[in-house]
Amino acid sequence: MAHAKPLATLRSATGIPTGRLAVWWVLASEVVIFGGLLGVYLMHRIGHPEWADAAAHTQTWIGALNTFVLLTSSFTAVLAHQAAEKGNGKEAAKFLCFTILGAMTFLVVKSFEWYNEISHGYTITANTFWSFYYTAAGLHALHVIAGAIIMGVVAFDAFRGRELHRVELIGIYWHFVDVVWIFLFPLLYIAK
Amino acid sequence: MSENNEHEHSNDDGHGHDGGHHVNYFKIYVVLVVLFLISVAGPEVGEMTGLRWITLITAFGIAVVKANLVIQNFMHLRWEKNLMKWVLATSLILMFLMVAGISPDVMNHEGNNWENVAAKAAVERGVDGEAEEETMVVAAPVGFTPQGAFQTVCATCHGTAGDGNGPAGAALDPPPANFTDAAFWADRDKQRIMTVIQDGAAAVGGSSLMAPFGALYTDEQVSELADYVISFAPDGAAPGGE
Repeated sequence: MAHAKPLATLRSATGIPTGRLAVWWVLASEVVIFGGLLGVYLMHRIGHPEWADAAAHTQTWIGALNTFVLLTSSFTAVLAHQAAEKGNGKEAAKFLCFTILGAMTFLVVKSFEWYNEISHGYTITANTFWSFYYTAAGLHALHVIAGAIIMGVVAFDAFRGRELHRVELIGIYWHFVDVVWIFLFPLLYIAK
Repeated sequence: MSENNEHEHSNDDGHGHDGGHHVNYFKIYVVLVVLFLISVAGPEVGEMTGLRWITLITAFGIAVVKANLVIQNFMHLRWEKNLMKWVLATSLILMFLMVAGISPDVMNHEGNNWENVAAKAAVERGVDGEAEEETMVVAAPVGFTPQGAFQTVCATCHGTAGDGNGPAGAALDPPPANFTDAAFWADRDKQRIMTVIQDGAAAVGGSSLMAPFGALYTDEQVSELADYVISFAPDGAAPGGE
């Protein structure tokens, strides 16, 4: 099996397995992408007290529900990793499927929320607050979709006992998506 | 595949013993959920006590604690090589530098020899527009019903029973129309009612005291509202058709 792999996956000058090193690099750049976006939101929010009126219309309980869903999906993702470490691919695939279910639930709740808001006239062009709201939550939702798709592929392999180390890699990515939401939730729903 | 190079803990009681990482994942999860519940309750407590800093601490303080728990225990960063911690820290520092560099220009709207006219105008508009926006929200609420719209908007002058005896109507000259009066309907049809709702009575030669409300409703909603107004007409007096 090893001979079919690209050389880079077998060498590690850093002592960190190549796949994991790559995921961390992705996340390091994501830190700047999401951090920059949220930082810019925060400074505008402080400079524009009138945003409080627009922000008052976000629905806290929907945001809270989605926060709980993502926290739970992070828990199942780490359980998948735990199973993979023990070499139990079927168990890992099962927990990954629970995580995908969490991603789906998150997206369904989000669609419902956005449908409601857009039909009330709170669109991305309504004002700068709503622009940020849809950009930040939208970029995050794209990451949820991407994560769910990759998890599907990893779960497919894991179920057959292949590439079990990838369970950890997609898990690290998924926890990052959770961490981004942990900051989006207070910004858009709590401290408004 | 798995890298078991760091056996920091030798005991294994069945709790998340991954590559030497001894973590009780369920315990971490429970702590995360409890912190989450506190952050949701924060604004309620902040509002009750009138202390806004409670909301800010429960929102952002808890977010930092939660994020740290996830990063250290679920992403296993605390067992990761220091190199990776430095890479991530560098990203974080660069991000903060960028934000700190931009923030004086965004958070202030004026400084030495400069003034952000557009931003000031936006704040001004927002603060002035508050009252206007409130009316909009009340007048065109979630789930339009002709009854609801009539009672919130029209009834102030025309009365809840449509008889022209609304609280704000008494002072008006000419008085508000009485929709229960057969004589009122003698020369009016639905189209005229809709025009008056949308463009004001002045548009059909009536009093300018009946203001235009077209901006609040869609054509469909105006039509429903007109039907509702017509429903006040006494038997036999209601205009037929459009």
